[in-house]
Amino acid sequence: MARFMSAARGAPHIDMPLLLVVVVLSAMGVVNLYSATSAYVGDTSGHGALAGIYVTQIYWIVVGLLLAMLVAAIDYRHFERLAPILYIGGLLMLCSVFVLATDVRGSSRWIRLGTFTFQPSEFMKPLIVLMVARHIQNDAKVEERTLVDLATPLFFTAVPVVLVMLQPDLGTSLIYLMSTLTMLAITRIRTGSIIWGAALSTGASLLMWNFGMKDYQKARITCFIDPLKDKQGTGWHAFQAQTAIGNGGLTGEGFMQGTQNQFRFLPDQHSDFPFAVFAEEFGFLGCVGLILLYGFLSIWAVHIASQAKDRFGAALAIGSGAVIFWHAVFNLGMSMGVLPVVGVTLPLFSYGGSSLVTMLFCLGLLMSVSMRRSG
Amino acid sequence: MATLGQRSDVGEFRRRYRWLVLFIFSIFSLFVVRLFLMQVVHGDIHEAQARRNIIGETRLATTRGVIRDAQGKVLASNRPSYNVYVVPKQLDFEKTWPLVVGYMKLDQQSAKDIEAKVRELALNQRRAEQQALIRVDVDRDIMATLETHRDELLGVRVLPAPVRAYPYGELGAHMLGYMREVDAEILAERPEGGYRAGDRLGAVGVERRWESYLKGQRGFRRFIMKKTRSERIEDLEDRYLGEGHLQEPAPGRDISLTVDIELEKSAEQAMRGHLAGAVVIVDVRTGRVLAALSKPSFNPNVVSGGSGKAAVQEAFNRYFSDPLKPTLDRTISAAYPPGSTYKPFTALSGLEAGLIQPEGEVDCRGGWEYGKRYFRCTGVHRGVNLHEAIVQSCNSYFYELGTRIQIDQLAELGSRYGFGAGTGVGVNPEARGRMPTRAWYTRRYKGAFRGGFTLLAAIGQGATTVNVLQLALAYGALANGGTLYRPQVVRSIETSDGTVVQDFPPRVRRMVEVDQPKLDMVRAAMVDVVLDKKGTAHAGRIEGVDLAGKTGTAQVSQLAPRGSDQASVEYFNRDHAWFAGFAPAQSPEIAVIVLVEHGGGGGKNAVPVAMRIVRDWQRMKAERLNRTASPDAKKEKAGSN
Repeated sequence: MARFMSAARGAPHIDMPLLLVVVVLSAMGVVNLYSATSAYVGDTSGHGALAGIYVTQIYWIVVGLLLAMLVAAIDYRHFERLAPILYIGGLLMLCSVFVLATDVRGSSRWIRLGTFTFQPSEFMKPLIVLMVARHIQNDAKVEERTLVDLATPLFFTAVPVVLVMLQPDLGTSLIYLMSTLTMLAITRIRTGSIIWGAALSTGASLLMWNFGMKDYQKARITCFIDPLKDKQGTGWHAFQAQTAIGNGGLTGEGFMQGTQNQFRFLPDQHSDFPFAVFAEEFGFLGCVGLILLYGFLSIWAVHIASQAKDRFGAALAIGSGAVIFWHAVFNLGMSMGVLPVVGVTLPLFSYGGSSLVTMLFCLGLLMSVSMRRSG
Repeated sequence: MATLGQRSDVGEFRRRYRWLVLFIFSIFSLFVVRLFLMQVVHGDIHEAQARRNIIGETRLATTRGVIRDAQGKVLASNRPSYNVYVVPKQLDFEKTWPLVVGYMKLDQQSAKDIEAKVRELALNQRRAEQQALIRVDVDRDIMATLETHRDELLGVRVLPAPVRAYPYGELGAHMLGYMREVDAEILAERPEGGYRAGDRLGAVGVERRWESYLKGQRGFRRFIMKKTRSERIEDLEDRYLGEGHLQEPAPGRDISLTVDIELEKSAEQAMRGHLAGAVVIVDVRTGRVLAALSKPSFNPNVVSGGSGKAAVQEAFNRYFSDPLKPTLDRTISAAYPPGSTYKPFTALSGLEAGLIQPEGEVDCRGGWEYGKRYFRCTGVHRGVNLHEAIVQSCNSYFYELGTRIQIDQLAELGSRYGFGAGTGVGVNPEARGRMPTRAWYTRRYKGAFRGGFTLLAAIGQGATTVNVLQLALAYGALANGGTLYRPQVVRSIETSDGTVVQDFPPRVRRMVEVDQPKLDMVRAAMVDVVLDKKGTAHAGRIEGVDLAGKTGTAQVSQLAPRGSDQASVEYFNRDHAWFAGFAPAQSPEIAVIVLVEHGGGGGKNAVPVAMRIVRDWQRMKAERLNRTASPDAKKEKAGSN
């Protein structure tokens, strides 16, 4: 890889810590997935297919890594020009969901293409980041920004947010919103505007609550506020996940020994709650290790941004890092019961091709910026 | 670089990076704290929950202890009740149902009713798959038939459930008690009792009082709920269950009563022809209750749920609407005016106070005038001394004593014999009765104590009330020379294999201070009550029955004054008929009390009952003596032990 890079652009050097962390996390993710689905080996009740998904996950990691290598090889500044085209393409895909989608549990997020399905809303995440980064690059305003100045990047985000909420998918729209806000947070904004923005978004949330949200989404949030009210119903997922995490204790039950997982008390253990599986098996010490890895990844993204030689690179690094960071925060938070269950994947741990490829794409962008830093 | 110096002023962002890092750091730190709380601080709670998820528990039923009488006859045991269930969804109404009706020998109407009910359930999505009870406690033949044809009867099940069985039915039911379903209150307030919803516990009598001994301890077996993957279930059990995953149930203790069911049966037979009343027989040498019969009775088999919940409801509705109150334990839980059966105690009071001389006579002219009132006697006895007054039950003699004695003196002696206070029998709530004192009357009648009250108290009327068991023990004390025993119902507690765990010796309640010659005098009079031609019990005596005692006719209502024709009075206003006595007359062994509620005259109605019971008792005593004496029986007994 290094040779390929040096052949392409002078002497860019690979960001070894980043690469190492990504490889370690992916490997842990596959191993965890193997354990998470081991309870379904030989299952005849219709979940038997889950038993082999760790192999599929490996395929997708390979595909994702190849894509990431390609992205890293390309100078990120080319994406500045490609951003609008990719963004519009992404929006079209999001719209196509309404025509082609297959329903999974009441929400249509998936598009079937031949034998495999994919989720356009996942791919949209880095595309929004690119579009907002491009805006930040071109907006050279030196004074503090006002709400009017922020209207354009927020509009870029709002369009896919609305499309995704129609699917409906609360988790993904939150990721869109939070990564955009994180990117805007590094620019200079007038304090008054922040207050105004906060007030407006509170109002918008209330409107969403009353008119925009489906009952099951509301239920997730109300049961997060009072989980014991409905231990058997909506709160079941969250309750069992927390039991699994707590059951891990200090050192864990041991690999493949978590009873909550092995006895199938964890719902969606491969997609929504892989952390619960991990926490039960490796305990508090293992969890601290995992959080350190995600923490390092997030902080490293800020580090890369600080080394970037232009505004686009910096914003891109922050945006890509933010996608990873917020995914981790939402997923860990909901597993631990400190955030409502919104169905956001854990980067590199959760099963899912679309999610994996998207995460690795973001990491590829990060690598691309890192390899072309100043100094 | 070419791009440098364009519009790329990254400097704008620099100051904010550290805030982002701080933000990231704080969020993840919070997560670590949260994890620490969940996994390390509260890890045990979550682990317990995780274990509960995978470990199931089967309850292992225990068996309730058996209750036996003094001769070892089973009074209460357990039997399976076979209940028929159908699963509406699986039942074929065209083919299977007619077979079921045939096998169960259902009549047309009930078959139609049940079919309609099941068809209705079949329409309900959820309940169509749950088994529905259609018949409770079918007999063994039907159960056997259904089991034989099991294969043709898809959706029909026969399941056994343990129920309490009382082989003697209504006989002695008040003392034995019955079983009822545990209520929410007990479940909530006594979790240490180990009851679960649907359990049954003793409701009254011995079943209730000795519940904790009888019920036994339920066991449990813990198991891993689901087998996963290829791991051996034994390994999982070793890992997650460890020791103590099995606790064998402990059967309840058996209880032997002092009651002799044969004697009880004889009392029941002797009471036939009377609507309501009570018989209590105690052993005067120990205070053991040999028989305690309260009439009318209830069927403990039905009210214990053996025939289904509907039958329990129906039975209680019937019992509670019956004016004769079949659920009332008349031996303990009700107090009655003792009437003339109290006269021996009045006589003792008078003798002790020195107010009467045995030979002193009173002229009975059919009553006694006191103040503005005239107190009636049962007849005109002319000159009677103490002996004759008791034998002929002359009221005038005792009225005269009543004019001179203080009511508190009567009450004091009565309470020495245990009246007015609980006997301490323990089973069923006690009506303590009343020995009225001057203070009591003053409180009751707002200061206006009248001498007439003492006259009534002297003949066991007025406010004086006793319960039947109290009277039995007091007569026991008269018979045995002054030892007042605590009544004893439970003889011993045994394990299910017959080992005696606890044996209850007789307990003396008090030694009554009494002058023996005076007591002998009263006793001799009570012998003549039966033997003397003028004795009130003479007419009712049976030849060869050795019984002494005192009759009583207690006035219940002003509407039936003394001496009126009882047959013409409404049932609930008629007098209570009493006989209180002991047998044999010399060296007594048992005290017998017979109360015929609203039975009329004691001599005419209660005496024959007591005579018949004592006759049977004498016969049984002789038979048992013969049996133990004959060598055959001895061998048999040795063999069975």
